[in-house]
Order: sequence, then structure tokens, then C-alpha cells
Amino acid sequence: MTLPPEVGTGAETAVPEAVLVGAGPAEGRSLGQIAWMRLKRDKVALGGGIFLIFLILVAIFAPLIVKYLGYPPNEFHQELIDTAGGTLTPIGRFGGMSWDHLMGVEPVNGRDIFSRVVYGSRISLLIAFLATLLSVAIGTTLGIISGFIGGWTDTFTSRLMDVFLAFPLLVLAIALAGVFPDQAFGLEGNQLRIALLIFIIGFFNWPYIARIIRGQTLSLREREFVESARSIGARRGYILRTEMLPNLIAPILVYSTLLIPTNILFEAALSFLGVGIRPPTPSWGGMLSDAVVYYTQPHFMFWPGMAIFVTVLAFNLFGDGLRDALDPRANR
Amino acid sequence: MFAYIVRRLLWAVLLLIVLSMVTFSIFYLIPQLGGASPETLATRYVGRAATAETVHLTAERLGFFDPVPVQYWHWIKGVLVGAEYDYGAGVEHCPAPCLGYSFITKQPVWPELLDRAPVTISLVVGASLIWLVAGVTVGVISALRRGTVFDRGAMGVALAGVSLPIFFTGLVALAFFSYRLGITAPGGQFVPFSENPALWAYSLLLPWITLSFLFAAQYARLTRAGMLETMSEDYIRTARAKGLPERAVILKHALRGALTPVVTIFGLDVGLLLGGAVLTEKTFSLNGLGKYAYDGIVNNDLPKVLGVTLVAGFFVITANLIVDLLYGIIDPRVRLE
Amino acid sequence: MNHSRSWRARGLATVGISAALVLAACGGGGGGGQQGSSNQSAQAAFDAAYTSVVNPSDKKGGTLKFANPADWDSLDPGETYYGYAWNFARLYGRSLMMFKSAPGKEGNQLVPDLAEAPGQSSDGGKTWTYKLRKGVKFDDGTEVTSADVKYAVLRSIDKQTFPNGPTYWEAVLDLPSGYKGPYKSPNMNTDSAIETPDEYTIVFHTTNPFAAFEYLAQLPQTMPVPKDKDTGAKYRNSIVSTGPYKFADLQPGKGFNLVRNDQWDPATDPNRKALPDRFEVTVNVNADDIDNRLLSGDLDVDIATLGVQPAAQSRVLQDPNLKANADNPLTTRVQYTTINSTVPPLDNIECRKAIEYAMDRIAYQTAYGGEFAGGNLATTLLPPIIAGHTDFDLYPNGPDHKGDLDAAKKSLEACGQPNGFATNIAYRPERPKEKATAEAFQQALSRVGIKLTLKPYPAGDYFAQYCGLPPFVVKQKLGLCLMSWQSDWPDGFGYFSQIVDSRVIRETGGNTNLGVRIPEVDQMLDKALAELDTDKRNQIWGEIDKRVMEEAVIYPGVYARLLLLRSKNATNIFVSDAWGGYDYLGLGAQK
Repeated sequence: MTLPPEVGTGAETAVPEAVLVGAGPAEGRSLGQIAWMRLKRDKVALGGGIFLIFLILVAIFAPLIVKYLGYPPNEFHQELIDTAGGTLTPIGRFGGMSWDHLMGVEPVNGRDIFSRVVYGSRISLLIAFLATLLSVAIGTTLGIISGFIGGWTDTFTSRLMDVFLAFPLLVLAIALAGVFPDQAFGLEGNQLRIALLIFIIGFFNWPYIARIIRGQTLSLREREFVESARSIGARRGYILRTEMLPNLIAPILVYSTLLIPTNILFEAALSFLGVGIRPPTPSWGGMLSDAVVYYTQPHFMFWPGMAIFVTVLAFNLFGDGLRDALDPRANR
Repeated sequence: MFAYIVRRLLWAVLLLIVLSMVTFSIFYLIPQLGGASPETLATRYVGRAATAETVHLTAERLGFFDPVPVQYWHWIKGVLVGAEYDYGAGVEHCPAPCLGYSFITKQPVWPELLDRAPVTISLVVGASLIWLVAGVTVGVISALRRGTVFDRGAMGVALAGVSLPIFFTGLVALAFFSYRLGITAPGGQFVPFSENPALWAYSLLLPWITLSFLFAAQYARLTRAGMLETMSEDYIRTARAKGLPERAVILKHALRGALTPVVTIFGLDVGLLLGGAVLTEKTFSLNGLGKYAYDGIVNNDLPKVLGVTLVAGFFVITANLIVDLLYGIIDPRVRLE
Repeated sequence: MNHSRSWRARGLATVGISAALVLAACGGGGGGGQQGSSNQSAQAAFDAAYTSVVNPSDKKGGTLKFANPADWDSLDPGETYYGYAWNFARLYGRSLMMFKSAPGKEGNQLVPDLAEAPGQSSDGGKTWTYKLRKGVKFDDGTEVTSADVKYAVLRSIDKQTFPNGPTYWEAVLDLPSGYKGPYKSPNMNTDSAIETPDEYTIVFHTTNPFAAFEYLAQLPQTMPVPKDKDTGAKYRNSIVSTGPYKFADLQPGKGFNLVRNDQWDPATDPNRKALPDRFEVTVNVNADDIDNRLLSGDLDVDIATLGVQPAAQSRVLQDPNLKANADNPLTTRVQYTTINSTVPPLDNIECRKAIEYAMDRIAYQTAYGGEFAGGNLATTLLPPIIAGHTDFDLYPNGPDHKGDLDAAKKSLEACGQPNGFATNIAYRPERPKEKATAEAFQQALSRVGIKLTLKPYPAGDYFAQYCGLPPFVVKQKLGLCLMSWQSDWPDGFGYFSQIVDSRVIRETGGNTNLGVRIPEVDQMLDKALAELDTDKRNQIWGEIDKRVMEEAVIYPGVYARLLLLRSKNATNIFVSDAWGGYDYLGLGAQK
């Protein structure tokens, strides 16, 4: 498993180098059509997918949503806090939940939790998506090349994967994020943080995708249609582009979808440990970290925790469904 | 086979060296991006209100004025043959493997690692056995009772386990079971096995269960998938046709085929976890390698971080090697080159 | 392919399961748990330990359990720099003078410990002579002589071996130039700094008059160290004790026990009762666990004297039974913010005054934990406990203390920024209270058009590279720097010397004076140190306070209070002004 051990979801699909993985597209109807039919039948996966679309819309329209349903995410409302008694917790049950503040307010400063969760979705999704993109880009490229060309290239890439796999990922991520200065490469502040997090999460996770793609490539390489393409004199680049890549899209798509929730959890873990996004910008992991201090009243942990949970669950459900739809031999 | 092992071992040593170099770079080279000098690095290791003189002396003592490759060389030499430590009133010999002295506490790192390793090992071994047994059992039953309420429920809970961040589940579990109900030990109560096995298990109960909840999920799903696949194979039908009792069919034949990927993943997971259970240890205040690493990072205590990184890397590399070897043995289709 | 996948429908149901779990865990939120009601029959009131001794007793015996959420910077009395460490060190070491083990203000008095009587000063305050008591022994039976005290002080000067400790001795004593401590300069003659004319007399010579020398004499660095048992940086693991207790089972990073020192002779020690038989101390314990164990009675003292965590704070303040068993002392710590005159437009005093008027001090207090765990609203730099403090408020911020926006706007006009201006505010993100305060500043000042950008900088380097590095402050336009300061000891010098003296500011960084550069104040500091009359000296501290506030370079937030929990097992619990927390020397144990 290449992912940080306590933040993993895809162990069952990571395989050691010594194993071949077989897969192949269904013949007959186009893959896309078959997959879509299967997906439509899978209500739960569909539900996950719909939720994801909803989430993405929320992230995109966050400012609008907050304008009508909440308050500015960094605005204090200390009149809602028990300052007289000294507990500094919101007045009212369930952390001050009310029609005004749908999820209650934070202790000490009285910020609206609903708005912060909504804005937090932007950070989580942005980082997770871009990091996944980075992993997939690197992983697919290296996986295809090493699987297809074989020989020394393959050995070298496999050794490289070993190096990355041997890293105690969380330790190094914390170290890097903690040690990195506030200004570098022309960026600063939260922009730099976000770029750094995308880099750390994305860059160290590429072996996960690469291994799978390599395995798929290895098996595809031996199949007849590739043989026949070669026999009519097709060049390597052509074969890669027109024969292999379309058949690899399925696993790429599936494992990307399954990698995203891992990355969400990873970013949350980094924020929780204090090396993620800087305050006051809200992020789910950061909100959990703040809320931990009031752990005897878990209201404050509840909303960001549930946000992470439901998002990760939706991605998993959808990703599972996608995998089942695209891969007929997976018996789930 | 022998040549393969030797080659892998050499490769393992090389990997560890690369790992240490990367860690070194992170601590010394990255801050230079922000314009740090040896003195600014040293300011983390002096007390409050230290004079510039103190900072300079500390930077000198810790070797920050040497170029980074030279510092690295000193450290590697220490690992291989040992080093001398000047404690002011005298000089102490630090035997090999000398992983240095903590910048903050000035204690030698290697003995501290040895001291903390049992905690992490206890945590991981215990949790891994629980999740293996629980996951496989649930997976088998789910596969056998496919489509029933049990199946759906179990797989659902499995999915939940995979989707919750451990620092969230851990904290909620602590708040609920330890503090509100008082049935499990509160955080930070580790008792060594040699001292009291019963208390040892009690102190680790909640971390074990919380951690294994995370992993059992995957193993249940994996086992279930594997079982479903093997159960539809021909040789199972043959076994049944031969009149073997159902139990033997399942346990002896179907399960064995299904378990191959599980064993593989298990080895990798345990290896990784041994070096990096940072979140669990921090949540439950367990003084293991993960927490040691986290404390080291937070205080910029390079010797500690280097030490843990090496140990973690060692565990991961060893686990990878064992798993690859096992796989080569178990699955005759695989050839190790 | 007709295998059912609707099992995953249950996956969504588990959302409900987890929700139920969490809601059940939070049901009723914060009300007293099963440890709520206390069974103490004679129950003292809230904050009683400041004015009286709670559970007085002379019973000897028992064990006290201490826990530390972090670790000592060092147990070695020669290089530890935390108040709690100095408080605790008196159990295993005896310094020349010490703070009296008594409640409240009385705890601020200095009484002779190793010395027979307070020091005799001569030569205009440049020479200080102490006579040691006879018959004081190390835990191995050897008698303590003045040479041991001299050695202890001199070794603490070696900052390469001991980087953590306070730096007063090397700054104040008349040491030979190039002296690097006994390990590196073993043969240098140091009589110019410290003389030992006989075995029981020790004489200190300072380069400049130092009227507050008694406070230096109480530093743990004067606790004697036997030269033949000194192991430099490793001495912290094998300390030789002169106090009523000595070390046993010390495990670095984990904890230690203190057991009775049979060589300690009570006849030589009128200051200590030494009631418990044993202390068990664990370090690096989770702070929330500490609170829970204090409440359940499994632990006696949170040694760090930082107050309870917010989770316990809510519980304690909401439950009258728990609250009655808590104390809320004022400390000598002040949470304040520097307004840096090196960053335009704050070079104009009117712009600085605008910030003084506009800030919401109540929000500052709330950010730090409210009235109980945060503290009292502060309008001066010098806290009330330190002699010389007077109450004054140069920048009244409205009857509700949330800011006088009209006065702020007037000041803005006077400094030529009628619509406000933009600048940055720096803080340490590892400290949630500072984070909350920075956010409070941002909110409050935006009301008059002052736009702040939050700049978090790691606590480890805050003074070395960020707020404490003057060129960085200018370059990054850090108009405001959050700060928290506690006096090294409760007098004006111990409080002011490092935060308002402009001559200690180094352009290379590492400053705790983040922005006070007033030449008049520097002169007043010198004058105070030369003033041997204590009352007159204290008055000068008060004048310094006013002068600093007139420059509007400091925004005082709160005089810190702590919320502390009393032990159920301990006796003789009282708070001393010297430590701003429980006096560890006086405690006894019931069992």
C-alpha cells in the first residue's frame, strides 16, 4: 500500500510488483454504453454520484450560498457565546444551532459553522482534485511507459516506485509542510500552502496509480489486437495512443475516483496536525483540530467530521460503482 | 532465489541511505529557501531570551556551520562506527549505531527508539491481528450470505470504517467510551507487556479497536471479493461433487485462494503502520515511534526524525521484501527475477 | 452479473449510525459528568487558595502525583527557565535566597534559604555578601561549602553546554573577559566576579550597581553543584540534591520520582515542612488527560501551571461543585500586542493611538478564555501583582470596553489616514488563543477601516526570525505583533528588563523587546537599578510603565488569570504570588 497507512482506502487494489493483473474491455457494445447502463442500475453508486455533483456545486457557489443562508465565515458573533459564565461555549443546545445559524457557532469567537463548512469544501475539493490530477498524470505516464517498453525502463521505474513506497509518507509530509518557509517561488501565504499541499499529496502518491496502470499495460500488451497492430507495422506511439490508452481510461478513471477520498483524508490529517491551510481560512481538518479542544461537547467536531465522512463515503460509493460498471469481472 | 534476496537486501540498504539523505535535505535545505542561516536554525534549540552568543555557540556545537554534505557524513559515520559526544564536563562515547543526540533533550536517539518501539509494535500487532481475523471472518460470512441483511450491513459498516478519519473516530471513541462511560482506558496509559499483560491489553483496547475498524473494512471487502471469485471456480464445484463437507470446501479450498491478495496487503499494511501510526498515537497519547516522530518534527529535532524515518523505512522495506518472497512461494505463476 | 450491490445502501445508513454515536456522546453537553459531585465535607470556596491555606495539615507521609503536559527544558537547576521548574526545584535544591512558601502576597517575599540572612550590599550596590548556613549536606553526605555555590553559578555561564537557562549572571557579574565557564576556562581566576573568602562566605561583584540582587540570589542557578559529580549536559539525569528530596528512577522523557533525602537536616531549614514521603512525576502527558485525572482524583497536580484546557474549563465553570474546588489566581503574565513604530504609518503616534482606541478589549479577553481563564482587562503594561503598579488608562475604550470608535476616527484623521490603512498582524498559530486574538483584532479594527492581514509564524522561531527580527518586521510590514510575557520574578526588573530596554534590541534577531525604543525609559531603568531603597525603586517601575504607555507602542490585553484545579488528595494547598500558581513546596498528602 502506497498511501499513508491510516488514511488509506484502496489497499485491496494495490499489488506488489511480482503479480500480474488481468483486465480487459468487454467486446461488442462500446464500453461507455455498457458502463453507463450498469451504473444506472446501481442506485447507491448513483446516489453517491449525485451527492458529489451537489458537493461540487456547493463548492463553486459557496459565496452565494453563504450570502443567503449564513454569515461571512470569519465574522465573530461573540454575543452568542457564554462570556459571563466563562465557559466560552455557545448559548443554546447543540452548539447554538438555530435557523439563523444552521450548524451552530464556534466556541470562543462565535463564527458561523455552516459557512465555514461550505467554504471548507472548496479547499478540500480543490486540493484533493488537483493532487489526484498530479498523481494520475505522473503515475499514468510512468506506468504506461514502464509497462509497455519494459526492460531497463521498467526496472528503473519499479525501483523508483520502491523508493517512494518506502517513504514514511505522513512523517515526511508533516516535516515538509512544517519546515517550508512562508514565501518561496514567487508565491506566499495560503496560495503557497495550497500549492505545497497539492505537491506533497500528489507527488508522493503516484506509485499507487503507476502500479495499477503498469499491471494493466503489461497484460494489454500481450493481447491480440496489440499484436495485430504491431504486425501491420504500427509504431509504438501509435499503439500507445490508439490501442492502449482507450483501454486504460477505465482503470484510470476508477482509481482516480478512489484516490480522491484518500487525498481528502490526507489533507484533513495535515490540517488537523497543524501543517495544513493557515487560519482563518476554513478547512475541514482545521475545524476538527480546533474542535478537538472541546471534545467533551462533540457538537463542534460533528459538522466538519460528518462533512469529511459523507464526502469520502460518496466518493467511495461512486468509485466502487464505477469500477463495477467498467470492469465486468469484478465480483462485488 | 538466493541471488534475488541478496540483490534486494543491497537495494534495501541503498534505499535507507536515500531516505536519510532526503530527510536531511528537508531539514537543512528547505529552510534555506526562506533564507535561513546556521544561526537561525540554531535558535530553535536554545532557551528563551538566548543571546546571540548562545545561539552562535549552539550552532557551532550542533555542527550547523559545516556544509550539509559534511554534516551528513558525520552522521553516517556515527551510524556505522559510533561517535563522540561532548557533554561539557567530559566526552561520552556513543556506540554504533549512533543515531545522534536529540537537539532538544540531549538524550541519545537510538536507546529512545528502542524504548518506544515496543509501544508501536504492541499497537500494530494487536490491531492487525484483530482486523485480520475480524475482516476475514466478516468477509467470508458476507460472501456466503451474499445479498442478505448481514452482507449489506457488514459491507456498509466496512465502508464507514474506511471513510472516517481516525483522529475523528479516535477522539469520539475516547470521549464516549473512556471519559463518559469509563469502560476503556483514557489516553496515554500504556503498560508494558512485561509488566502486566492484562493491563497492557486494557490500555491498548480502544486504540486497537479504533485502528482495526479502519482496516477491517478493507479486509472484509477484499476477502468477500476473493471468496466470491474462488467460489465460482471449477475446482470448488469438483470438491463439492466429490462429497467433501461444505466446511472443508470453504475453509480449505475457497479461502486459501481468496487469501493470497489479503496476505500480500496485510504484510504491506503492517510494515507501513509500524513506521507511521502518527495519527493514532497522537490521538491516544501513546509514546510510540509515530508520536516520537511527530514531537521531533514539531520541535525541529532532526536526530529524532532521522532516527524514526530510518526505522520506519526499515520496516516498510522489510515488509515489502517478505511479501514479495511469500508471493513468489505461494503463487507458482509468479516468477521472481 | 446479478450480484446484489444494494448492500451499499447500508453504507448510507451507517451515516446515521455514526451520527447517533456522536449525538449520544454529546447528549446534554458539558453538564457535570459522573465525577461531578465532590465528597469533601469541609469544602473550600472558589479561589480560596489565594487568600488562605486549603486543607491545612501537618501530617507527614503520603505520595503526591504530578504530571507535566510537556517536558522540563531541563531538570538541571543551572539551566532551567520556567516558573514551574523553579517552583519545583526547591524540593531538590536550596538556593541562596528563596520565595517564601506562603499564600498570596506573602509568597512574594524573599527569605534566606541556603544563606543565613539576606545579603549585605556594599560599594553602592556592586558587592553582595552572603553567609551560608552550616550543616547543609548533599545527598551523598558531603557538606555544602561556598565553593559549591560559586561553581554552580559559574557553570551556568557556559551557554554552549547549557543553552536553556537565564542569562543574568553573565550580564551582571564582573567576569574576566573571555571566560567561557569552568569546562572551557578551568584555570581562569574568577575572583573578580565571585569570591569565597571562607567555606561559608560568598561575595558577588557586579560591573554596575544592581539593587535588585536578592532576586538573582533566588535563581536555581545558585543551588550548589558538587564539582566532582558534575556531568555537564548529562547532569540533568543525575542531580545531587540539597533539598528534602532526591531523585529516584529518573527516565528521561517519561518521568521520575522524588524520595526523601536522608541527608537533609530540618534543623538547618526553617522554610520547608517536607510533608509527603514521595513525589511521582510523569512528563509528556496529554493535557486533556491531565485535567480528567485531576477531576477524578488520579492525579494531584498539573505542574505546568498553565491552567485547565477549554474542555475542562467548561465543565468546571458550569458545575458549582467543581468550581468550588478550583482557584483562579492572577499571575504576573500579561497578554499584550506591540504596535511597531518602525512600520509606516504606525511611525505616527496618532495612528498608533487609533489602534489603542479602536480595539475591542472584551474580544481580546474572550479570545484568551474570558474573565476566568483569560484574565482581567489590562490598561497598563505592568501587572497588578508587581510592586509599582498603578491603575491608569490613557486610552479609554468606551463604557463597554469594546472600543471608542469616535476617538479612533479622530486619531486617524490626525495622522492623515481618515479612511484607515492596511497593515499585518503576526501571531503564533500553535497557540489557539493568539490565533483567536489576531482574528479579533482583524474584526475590531475593520470597524474604522484598518485592514489587517493575518500572518502566522511558527512559535519556535517567532523571536529569532520573525517578530523578534527588526529588519523582518519592517520588510513584512508587521504593524502588530502578538506577545505574551511573564516576569522572570515578580519585581519590576524581572518584568521590564527584557521587554522595554531598547539597548537589548539586536538587529540580528532573538529579541523579546519587540518594539519599545524610548531612550528616557532606558535611563529610568538604570536609575531604578541604582536605587537601593525598595519603595523608591518600585515607584520608578510605575513611572516607566506610564512612559511606555504614553508612546502607544503597547496594546495591553489582559492580566492573565489561570483556572487551576485543586487536588483531592493534597493538603496545604495555596497559591503564591511568586509563581502565579500552587506553591509546590508547601503541599502535603493525605495518602
